[in-house]
This record gives sequence, structure tokens and C-alpha cells, in this order.
Amino acid sequence: MDLLPTPAQMEIASLAADFFGNELPISVIRERRDAPVVVDRRIWSESAELGLFGLGIAEELGGAGCELAEETLLFRELGRRVVPGPFLPTVLGARVAALAGQHETASAILSGKATVGLALRRGPEGFDAATTPSTLDGRFQLLDAADSRYVLLVDPAGAALVETAALTDVRSEPAIDPGIRLAEARADAVPILAWVGTQEEPIRLRALVLSAAISVGIAEATRDMSTEHAKVRVQFGRPIGVNQAIKHACADMAVRAEAALSQVLFAAICVQDGRADAEFQALAAKSIAGRFAVENASATIQVHGGMGYTFEHDSHLFLKRAHVLEHLLGEPADHLARLVAQPAAQ
Amino acid sequence: MDLDFSKEQVEFREQVRTWLEENAPREIRPEMGPAMREYDLAWQRTQWEGGWAGISWPQEYGGRGLSLLQQLIWFEEYGRAGLPGIDACFVGLSHAGPTLMTRASEEQKAYHLPRILRGEVIWCQGFSEPDAGSDLAALRTRARIEGDELVVSGQKIWTSFATLADWQELLVRTDPEGSRHHGISWVICDMHTPGIEVRGIETIEGGAEFCEVFYDDVRIPLENVVGGLNNGWSVAMSTLSFERGTAFTANQVRLASTVEKLIDLAKERTGPDGRRPAIADDEIARRLATARAEVASLRAMTYAGISRNMHRDQPGPEGSMVKLFYSDIAKKVYRLAFDLLGADALRFVSRWEPGGWSGNYLYSYSVSIGGGTSEVQRNIIGDRVLGLPR
Repeated sequence: MDLLPTPAQMEIASLAADFFGNELPISVIRERRDAPVVVDRRIWSESAELGLFGLGIAEELGGAGCELAEETLLFRELGRRVVPGPFLPTVLGARVAALAGQHETASAILSGKATVGLALRRGPEGFDAATTPSTLDGRFQLLDAADSRYVLLVDPAGAALVETAALTDVRSEPAIDPGIRLAEARADAVPILAWVGTQEEPIRLRALVLSAAISVGIAEATRDMSTEHAKVRVQFGRPIGVNQAIKHACADMAVRAEAALSQVLFAAICVQDGRADAEFQALAAKSIAGRFAVENASATIQVHGGMGYTFEHDSHLFLKRAHVLEHLLGEPADHLARLVAQPAAQ
Repeated sequence: MDLDFSKEQVEFREQVRTWLEENAPREIRPEMGPAMREYDLAWQRTQWEGGWAGISWPQEYGGRGLSLLQQLIWFEEYGRAGLPGIDACFVGLSHAGPTLMTRASEEQKAYHLPRILRGEVIWCQGFSEPDAGSDLAALRTRARIEGDELVVSGQKIWTSFATLADWQELLVRTDPEGSRHHGISWVICDMHTPGIEVRGIETIEGGAEFCEVFYDDVRIPLENVVGGLNNGWSVAMSTLSFERGTAFTANQVRLASTVEKLIDLAKERTGPDGRRPAIADDEIARRLATARAEVASLRAMTYAGISRNMHRDQPGPEGSMVKLFYSDIAKKVYRLAFDLLGADALRFVSRWEPGGWSGNYLYSYSVSIGGGTSEVQRNIIGDRVLGLPR
């Protein structure tokens, strides 16, 4: 048992982190606030060349052959830098296409030629776990689907990939987070291009862990921002971090970040190994990391005072992304309801 | 990143589980007095005879000298078996014993360590004073040197099990001119020495282990000083580096099984609306689920801490994060139990009895105070984990 990443695993994460730092710094979100998409095509292609979209896909299916553990560390870096762009649905969409045997679709996604947006279902879940659905119906909220070729829907029964162009009544909406693009749409008997059921592959648990990993990065980054500010900001002739009101707020942020990170790594291994309590651990990870990211990001605005309330400062970008993540892949209350219904952990 | 235990470790877990099943005490632990002392010592003796005493103690001191992961397995199984904590034996096994190993003379070690391991003696702690709590270095209990003796006068407080203890790890001020952290000595005190008076302090849960201890010209041989005269502060601090993240595991496993018991209870009991089972109440169901998630992450945090400690000799300050998180969760969990019971919670049931939710709820107020308050833990995290200015 060793919960911590190996040096080789950390190296993959740090290569990705360097790329994000150079090509997709946080300032991009502000600069492209009014652009139709946040991440331009060139950078998306470079991300594909780096192999970021197929890290956890088997080599024979066109991926890098790493495990969920490595992908989890990659997604943590996305959170630490609040990186914009539809990484989550693209990585999951490529997997769905590859596992469903849609190799052309998979390779279009993996090569960066096609992006995948995320569809959040409005209303109750629609798929029947017992059958393989062929069409998609209903109303959806779309994330980062503005120029995407596909959108991905992750339901408890499985995950479906459809063509964005087949959706109707697409209407873009202003988003609380300037780092995402939001729209409303409906689907009337839209053909499903690729489907992976929960019985074949725990795709939803994978999605929960990766989304939680982004939240972990946010909880860690906001802890670090607050701590740094508490060290350098001087008031009454002393750094504000000497005051317990600030010091204890930072300490609580450290505990939340550590708890979230530990649980997400734990859950990643459980899902990867197919442990009996994988769903329990993934739901716990999503619940803990989602909530703690919001709490840390809220606290960082307070620690930064007036500056933290400005658009120019980064704090709000972390807070807004943390809130976005809370509502992906099911609502927090839904995750808790599922968690309490699970058998006890192993 | 892996959660795999080796074949040997899996077999070890089986051994532990079997041994605990066959040898754990079956009687309910007496709540107080000599009967409790005998219960705790007898259990320690059983562990000694079975070859399980001092699982984290080095072999040269008679312990098992188990690896970190074996310790983790032991404590997980110990917690899972629903056994009581080591309670009255705690200070000897987890505090005074390790301090003696690190800093005592060969004679002191040879005399005391086997007695602790064999379950022959109870140790208590004499650190806190009425005016030296979180600020331990403010302690004022004096010891003047007369010939080859120390003569101690003063008062200690919050000493658990002092009425039952044979020995005490006692911090006294031997040099009144020294600065706060200097001039303190760490002394082995025989609790049967004339001049010692112990008074019980009843706790909010009706517990009787808490005491205050008064010293009126108590004569202690100078040779009972450990680690050198006036070096007591560094001796006291040396204990902290002994625990490498496993000893707390049994508490966590106990807390996890408490949450599972509460989920079962919520299915049986009628909820706040008086009609449906408590689990059908959204608020209660969410609080139970949140408790499950938090207890799971506490365990993951412990695994992360142990993983980190496997790669280094000295434990880092992250242990304070586990302690702080545990305290927060434990208080929430027992409050939830209390709320689940509705008006039935008003009936007092001691935490040592089955269904002792109200006793446990009251006891939970101690977890964020004892062993360093949550505020002190936040200071440690701020200063030593995050490097914030003091």
C-alpha cells in the first residue's frame, strides 16, 4: 500500500502542468471572456499531440496505456490552474468512442480534430440500465459545446456520445464562470453514435473521480494562494498570517485540501482495481472534493479582502469553477442519496 | 499509487483477526475504579502473553517492532473488533514508554519498559497545570534539589487515571531562573510517594478518570530525572516524533463503524416526522451520507500520512491535520446520533454501555480539547505545514 504518486506518475503530471502554464495560463480566461470558445484550435491540437486526451486509454485503442491514477493526477493539474476547455468530456468521450468500437470518432477526438462538450440532462435520468439505448431525447444544458462536434452525456446507466449538430433549439446562455461556455438544447430522437453501459465499464465512476480531481486542484491552489497572501500582505505592521483569524482559516483550507486529495487518490485506485466499494469511494470523493473546493475558494476571497472581490484577481475564477464542478454528473444531493444507499466500505 | 497488501501482510491480517477474536475481553469494561484498572491491565497482559504487546515498540525493548503497514493492519483490526481503546495503558504504551526509549538511561529503561509492556503498571501524565494548558511552557510546579533528591511542590491538572496510576511522567521547573523552555525537567514520579494528593474531577459525561494532583514537598530521587536536569522540554518534545501516523487508526475505524451503526439505527427508528423511518428524512440521510464521505476521507488521509512516513525517518507535522479532521468529524457524528434519537436522547446511557449514544455525545466534546486543542492544531498546521509567520 502506498497512496502517494510515484516519481514517474508525478512527472507526467508536471509535464502537463508546464504545458498548461505556458499555453493556457489563467489570464486566457479574462482575455477571451467574449470569444465564442475559450481555448483556440491551435492549443487544442497541441494538447492532443501531448497525448492528454488518451492518457488512460489502452495503447491498442490509440491511447497512452496509463491508468486512471495518472489521469487523476492530470485532472488535478487542470484544477490547480483552473484550465479552461472541455478536457473532461473530451477525455471521457474519446474513451466511450474507443470502447464502443467507433475508432474513427475516437481518433478524431484523440487527434484534437473534434472536441466533445458535456451535456447535463434537465429532468430525471432517462436511460434504462437494462437496455442499450439507440437515441437520445430530452432537454439538456450544454457545457463547452459551442464548436464541439460531439457532446457526451453521462448517466448512471452509462455514457452516450451524440453529434452536436443533431441537437435542436440550441441557445447560448451567459455563464457564471467566464472559463466555460453554456447553452441550452433539446434532443428529439437524436441517434447515439457510441454507448458504453455501466455493466461493461464504470465510466460514470471514472467521470466522478476525474471531476473530483479537478476540485482537488482548486482546493489546493486556493489554499496556496491564501497562504502566500497571508505571508506577504502586511497590516498593522505585521503579515496578516500572524493573526489566528487568518492562520486558522488557512489551516482549515490545508485540512480540506489534504482530505480531498487523499480521498480522490484512494477512490481512483478503487475504481481502477474494480474494488467492490469503488462506487462508495467515488461518490465520497466527488462529495468531499466538490464541497471542499467551494469552501476553500470561498475562504480565499475572504482572505484576499477587497482584492479578492475584483474580476482582475484569480480568486473568483476558482470559486466559479468549483461551483460548476459541483453540478456536473449529478447534483450533490443526488450523490449523497446514492452514497447512503451503498453497502459499507470495504 | 496502490492499495495492495502483500501476501504476507494479508496473512498477518488474518493472524491478527483470529487472535483478537479468540482473546479479546468479552466482559463490558468497568467504568471506573480498581476494577477498570484490573480490566485494562489484564487485557494488556493477555496481549503480552500472546506476543502482541508493543506492536510499534522496537524489538530491543521487547516490542513487536512491526512495520508501519503491519501497525496499520493491527490497529484496523483492533478497531474493527469493537475493542475499547487502550485507555488506562495509553500513557505508558504510547507516551511515557516511547519517551523513555528515546531519552532514558539503561537502568531506567531496563526497570520500566518491561513492566509497561507486561501490563503490570499504569502510568499517568503530569504536564498541564491550571495556568499552563495550551501554553505548557508556562508551567510552575517547582522542584528544588536537596542532596540526591528533588523536592516537588505545586499542582497538575487534567491528569487521567491519576487515582489508579503507579507512575507519572512529570514536568517540573528545576531552574526558576531559566527562560520558559529551559529549566524544566522530565521526571519519573512514583505516585505512591508521600505528599501526593489526588482529587477526582467529574466530567460532563459523569466520567471519573480526570484528576488534579497536588504535590506538597514530594521527594523524588534525582536519578529519576530523564534526559538530564533542565532538559525536560526537549525530552517532552521527543515523544512527538515517535508516533508515525498509525496509533490513531483504531479510533478512526471505530468512528467508521459508528457511522454504519447509525445508518442501521436510522433504518429502524422512526424519524422526526413521527411516521417514516429516520433514513427517509432527507436531512438525516444527507448528514449520514456526509459522515460516510468524511470518515472515508479521514481513512484515506491516514493512508496518505503513512505512505509519506514510509519514505522518511521523522514524521512531519501533517499528523495535526488528521487529529483536527478527526475531532471535527467525531463531534458531528455523535451530534447526529443524538439528533437521531429525538427525545430518547434525554435518557442518559453511559458510553461504556450498549446504545450509549448520549454518553458518547457528551464525551465527544473532549476530542477537540484533549491531546492539544483544535486551536493549537490549527496553529501547528499554520506554522509548520504552511510556514505562516508566527
